[in-house]
Amino acid sequence: MFSLRTRLLLATSATLAFFLAFGGLGLNQAFEASAQQSQLERMQAITYALLGAAEPNEYGELSFANDLLPDTRLGFPQSGLEAALFGSASGLLWGSPSLADNIPTPAPQPVGEWRFEQLPGRFVLLFGISYGSDGGRPRHYTLMLSETSLLYNAQMRAYRRTLFIWLGGAAAALLLLQGAVMRWSLRPLRRLVHQLAEIESGSRERIEGTYPTELHSLTEGLNAMIINERSQQSRYRNALGDLAHSIKTPLAVLHGIAERPLAGDNQKLLSEQVTRMGHIVQHQLKRAATVGSRALVEPTTLRPLVEKITGALSKVYQPRQINFQIDIPAELRIRADAGDLYELLGNLLENACKYGNQQVRIVVRRTQREVTLLIEDDGPGFPEEARHLLERGVRADTRYEGQGLGLGAVKDIVEAYQGRLTLGRSDLGGGQITVQFAA
Amino acid sequence: MRILVVEDDAALREQITEALRGEGYVAESAADGEQGLYMAQEFPIDLAIIDLGLPKLTGIDLIKRLRKGTGGSQGPRNVPVLILTARDGWQSKVEGLEAGADDYLVKPFQTQELLARARALLRRAGGWGSAKLVSGPIALDTTAKMLAVNERPVDLTSYEYRVLEYLLTNAGKVISKSELSEHLYAEDDERDSNVIEVFIRRLRLKIDPENTLNPITTLRGSGYRWDLPRA
Repeated sequence: MFSLRTRLLLATSATLAFFLAFGGLGLNQAFEASAQQSQLERMQAITYALLGAAEPNEYGELSFANDLLPDTRLGFPQSGLEAALFGSASGLLWGSPSLADNIPTPAPQPVGEWRFEQLPGRFVLLFGISYGSDGGRPRHYTLMLSETSLLYNAQMRAYRRTLFIWLGGAAAALLLLQGAVMRWSLRPLRRLVHQLAEIESGSRERIEGTYPTELHSLTEGLNAMIINERSQQSRYRNALGDLAHSIKTPLAVLHGIAERPLAGDNQKLLSEQVTRMGHIVQHQLKRAATVGSRALVEPTTLRPLVEKITGALSKVYQPRQINFQIDIPAELRIRADAGDLYELLGNLLENACKYGNQQVRIVVRRTQREVTLLIEDDGPGFPEEARHLLERGVRADTRYEGQGLGLGAVKDIVEAYQGRLTLGRSDLGGGQITVQFAA
Repeated sequence: MRILVVEDDAALREQITEALRGEGYVAESAADGEQGLYMAQEFPIDLAIIDLGLPKLTGIDLIKRLRKGTGGSQGPRNVPVLILTARDGWQSKVEGLEAGADDYLVKPFQTQELLARARALLRRAGGWGSAKLVSGPIALDTTAKMLAVNERPVDLTSYEYRVLEYLLTNAGKVISKSELSEHLYAEDDERDSNVIEVFIRRLRLKIDPENTLNPITTLRGSGYRWDLPRA
């Protein structure tokens, strides 16, 4: 897996290389075309000047006087500029003093038409002319002008060198800039990684500082996960501590029983203490297993879950024919673990069935910030010890007599979600329990 | 009443069957789901107590197959089912009840609680709502295992009680002698239909010495029926 930096660098470099190559090629083409055009225009100008100096010789053929040549280079051998005149049938008629030997005869050029060619080492311009003298039939000639391309090539080389220097420089500058932009853009991520490492090493509590909007949900999710991880850890730790602590007393009682013969009261005591220890273990295990609030937990649709529980309970309490009123919007979803919700609602609804007569009502409402669950019945209402259990700081396992209410487990789950639990009176006549937690 | 216990833990299985036998029930037991399903389909049981975490076939699957029937001669069975769950997870309770169980009990439980649930389910299956089966002047307290006629206690032997409880639970239904012996005796007990006749005669004498109530009707060739109306 490539790192983000490598990915960005590779992608930018490829794009840059592509655009620079095409740009360079285009600029080179354009410059070459324009250089060739000016070469043609210059050679045409010389041709016109040459034609101006043309005159018939003694045979009536067109010819040029060597001392009237328009460009001095035409007068010197190997000057790089050559001119020659070919007759339509008779071959070479005239050559400038600079003309090299063995010039091949070009194909006759139609009158008034130009032909411009770049041959290895030189440019050749051909022009077809018609010249009539003494009122006779006009004769056809082809005028050839040839110029070395040494100068042109040197110019092109110089241009290309400059082009490459500038394009290469621009590419390097762009890459450097890109590197800097990337460094700057990835800085929040580096900071995040650094903070996570600090959290891991224990020198930091949570992810802090402002982050770009794209990272908000990530940092929030991470913080929620960290907090949950911690509270889960402390739940395990507390559960273990409480377990060890609260099992000491029954163990001491058992120890005392072991020193006496087993009969009558002792047997009853033994059974009581073993039951009590069973309750304690069960309670603490359940507490440790509660998932608790999590930012990343999948939301649970509440109504089907409640319907499943009430369906199961109507089976268990079938002889009582309990009437369940379920008032929960069908699409209402809660960000809580389904297992926790099963425990919470299972215990509360079972209590309502156990202690109510025939009416059980569950109402769930959700506002922007809060979810409220109301469970009511038409029984005698909650006993005083249930209220005592819900007071802050009272450990559910210390009053195991109240365990039958299942409220200990409910209290632990609600606390794991930082929620509130209140007991009251229902207009159905019995108890009403309200659970509220953040939506 | 014949009760099947399906539990893989040998000690707990032993404890439950012993407690059931102590209460006068005929207790059968199976150690895994497959054996449990076989016994639940083949034996004339009145109640099944099934642990959810079983080897070979889970308790949930056992209940589902029992309720659905496994084809052939094994049609669906409506026998009441009590599930035992080790984890007191509501999710597994709901799952068990949805699969077809009638009640649940969370481990660890007290034997008395188990017996009370078993009694309640047996009663419910017979259409009775309370632990006291009242029919005319006859009241049978299934919790205390006491019979009272016109509020006067009547002593019964263990077998007499079982016959009376079965007839009364299924009041109004014709119960054949073989059904009575199937539901009241363990496999290895001597099954003699004459003994049933003896029990019925003695029950009639104890409940209705003046012969004015005639609570048990004998139907020649088919069996007996409790004929007093349920209260």
